[in-house]
Amino acid sequence: MSALLEIENLRVAFNTRHGEVTALDSVSLTVNAGETLGVVGESGCGKSITALSVMGLIPSPPGRIAGGAIRLAGEDLTRVSEARMRALRGAELAMIFQEPMTSLNPVFTVGDQIAEAIMLHQKVGHAQAFRDAVALLDRVGIPSPDRRARDYPHQLSGGMRQRVMIAMAVSCRPRVLIADEPTTALDVTVQAQIFDLLNEIQRDFGAAIILITHDMGAISEMADRVAVMYAGRVIEEADADDVLDHPQHPYTRGLISCIPALGKGDTELREIPGVVPPLHRLGAGCAFAERCAHRNGRCDSGKPLLVNHGHHPAACHAVQEGRI
Amino acid sequence: MSVLLDVQDLTVQFTLPRQGLFGPRPVLEAVRQVSFRLEQGRALGIVGESGSGKTTAAMATIRLVEAASGKVIFQGEDLLQLDDAAMRQRRRDVQLIFQDPYSSLNPRARVADIVREPMDLMEIGTPEERRARVTDLFRLVGLRPDQLSLFPHQFSGGQRQRISIARALTTNPKLLVCDEPVSALDVAIQAQILNLLARLKAELGLSYLFISHDLGVVRHVCDDVAVMYLGKIVEMAPREALFDTPQHPYTQALLSAAPSLARRKSRGYVRPVKISGDPPSPINPPKGCAFVERCPKAQDICRRVQPLLESRGQNRVACHFPG
Repeated sequence: MSALLEIENLRVAFNTRHGEVTALDSVSLTVNAGETLGVVGESGCGKSITALSVMGLIPSPPGRIAGGAIRLAGEDLTRVSEARMRALRGAELAMIFQEPMTSLNPVFTVGDQIAEAIMLHQKVGHAQAFRDAVALLDRVGIPSPDRRARDYPHQLSGGMRQRVMIAMAVSCRPRVLIADEPTTALDVTVQAQIFDLLNEIQRDFGAAIILITHDMGAISEMADRVAVMYAGRVIEEADADDVLDHPQHPYTRGLISCIPALGKGDTELREIPGVVPPLHRLGAGCAFAERCAHRNGRCDSGKPLLVNHGHHPAACHAVQEGRI
Repeated sequence: MSVLLDVQDLTVQFTLPRQGLFGPRPVLEAVRQVSFRLEQGRALGIVGESGSGKTTAAMATIRLVEAASGKVIFQGEDLLQLDDAAMRQRRRDVQLIFQDPYSSLNPRARVADIVREPMDLMEIGTPEERRARVTDLFRLVGLRPDQLSLFPHQFSGGQRQRISIARALTTNPKLLVCDEPVSALDVAIQAQILNLLARLKAELGLSYLFISHDLGVVRHVCDDVAVMYLGKIVEMAPREALFDTPQHPYTQALLSAAPSLARRKSRGYVRPVKISGDPPSPINPPKGCAFVERCPKAQDICRRVQPLLESRGQNRVACHFPG
C-alpha cells in the first residue's frame, strides 16, 4: 500500500545574500491515514520549511522547490497548478500555526472566519456555513459556542484561539493536518488540552497528522513515527518507540538525554555543544560533525546517507561503522 | 543553614484604568500574601502558568516592582523599608537574569563593557581590576577572552545568556533571580545553560530564586519548589516531596500535563488528571479557592472558604481536600 502523503527526495533552495543555500536536502518522508508523524529538531533544521513545502506556501522568490516530489494520494503537488493547489489547501491539506493570534484576522468574528473556510470549499450558503462553524466550535470544546462564534479573536484566550484554528483546519475534514509547534505559545495545562483534542480529532476523522515540535516529550505522547531533522536533512526515522528507546544518531541521543526529566533531578544533563551551523556554511561532510563526539575523518569528507545499519535508518558514519 | 531571604505576606497590587468617566479604578492583586524562605546556597523554584504572579512576586522581592504590603527580610534587614541609597548598596548582593537574551543586552555596546558596567556603576575596584574581573568571568561562564570586544549580535542565544550570567556575577551577588532563563533557548542549548547554573551554584555558593513554567527544568535546578496559582502559593515543598507526592490538585494537574518521555502513545497513554479551561482573571478572583472553577475535587466549601497553607508531610498545601 502506498502512503497517503509521500515526500520523496525533496530539495528546497533559497536565494540569500550568501548565494543559493539548500534549506532541504533529499528529504523523504511518508505519512499514512490515521497516523501521527512527529518531526523534531532545533530551530533552523528545516521542520517548518518541510511543512510549508507540503502546503505549497514556500515564498517564491526567494525560495523554490529544486527537486523531488510531494505526492498526496499519488498526485504530485510540486507539479499542480496554483488553482488546483488552492482547491487542495484547506480541503485536503490543512495547517495549524504556532501563534494563533497572528493567523486569525482581527477584524472578523471567529464564526465568520470558519464559515468563510467552509464556503470556499463546499457549496453552502453563509447561514448553513455559520451553523457548521458553531458545531465545529462545540466539537473542539469551546463553551457556549453559539455566543463565542460572534466573538473577535482578541476576546478569546490563547488556548481558545488555538481551538478556533483547529476548528477551522478540520472544517473540511482534511486528509492531512500539519501542526507546526501548535502549543509553543500556550501554558502547559492548555497544551495538554490541545494535545488531547488533536488525538480525539484524529480518531474521529482519521486524518494523518504531521506534528512539528522541538519537544521530545511531545513526540513521546503524540507520535506514532518520528523523523529527526538536522540542517535540512532527515537524519533518523523510525517508529516512536524505536527512536526514543534506541536512538541511533548522536544528535538524536543528545536531544533525548539533554531534556531535564520530571522523574529525576541533580544528575548533570548531557549537553550538545555548539549550535546548528548556518546553511551557507555547510561543507561536504556531515553537518553535525562539529558538535559530535564521534567525529572522524570520514565525517568531514562525505555526507552520510539515511540507511538502516541494524536497528532502524540513521544517517551517521559512526553508526554505520559500528563505532557507537 | 542560615536563612538568606525571608519573604512574609508579600502583596502586590496594580491599579487599573478607571472604568467609565466616574467609575471606580479596579485594583488587581497580582501577588496575594506570599511567604517563602530561601536558605543560603539553595535554589527555590517558583512555578506557575502565565498570569500566576510568579515573576511579579520575584520582582517585588528585589524591589523592581513596588509591594503594597509585606516584609522582605534579606540578611536580617527588611528591603522594603530601605531608602533609595541604602537599597542601591544592597543591589550588589542581588542580581537578575532575564528570559530574553536578545532584548536584555544593549546591541550597541561591546560585551566587555556590558559585563563591566555594574562594577562601574557601583564603583568597585580600579579600572585594571575591573578589566581583569571581566576576563575571569568570561572564562567562568564558558566564553573565550578573545570574544570580549564583540557585540551581542555576534553571539548565539545560549552565548548571550552566558553573557547575561557573567554580568549578573560581576558584583559577587549572594542571590540570583533567574526569570525563565532558558525558555527562549533550544533544548540542546538549555542543557548547556542549566549545567552552567548548577555548577556556579555549587562553586560560588549562590542562592537562586528561579522562576519557570517548565517543571522538568525546575526539578533539575531547584532544591525547593513553590507552585503559584492566581497570585497565591498553593503548594510548597522540597523537590522530591513535590514531584513524588504532590498534594494540591493543581500541582497534580501540572505534573500530568507536562510532556514526558515516559508517556507513550504506543502504550495507550491517557492523562490521569485532566483540567479544563484557562486560569481565571486576577481582576475578580473567586471568593474561595482560586482553583475552584477548574478543580476536579471542588466541593461547596471550596467556593466559600479560602484554604490556607497547612503542613501535610513535607509539603505545605492550601487545599480543603489535599492528597
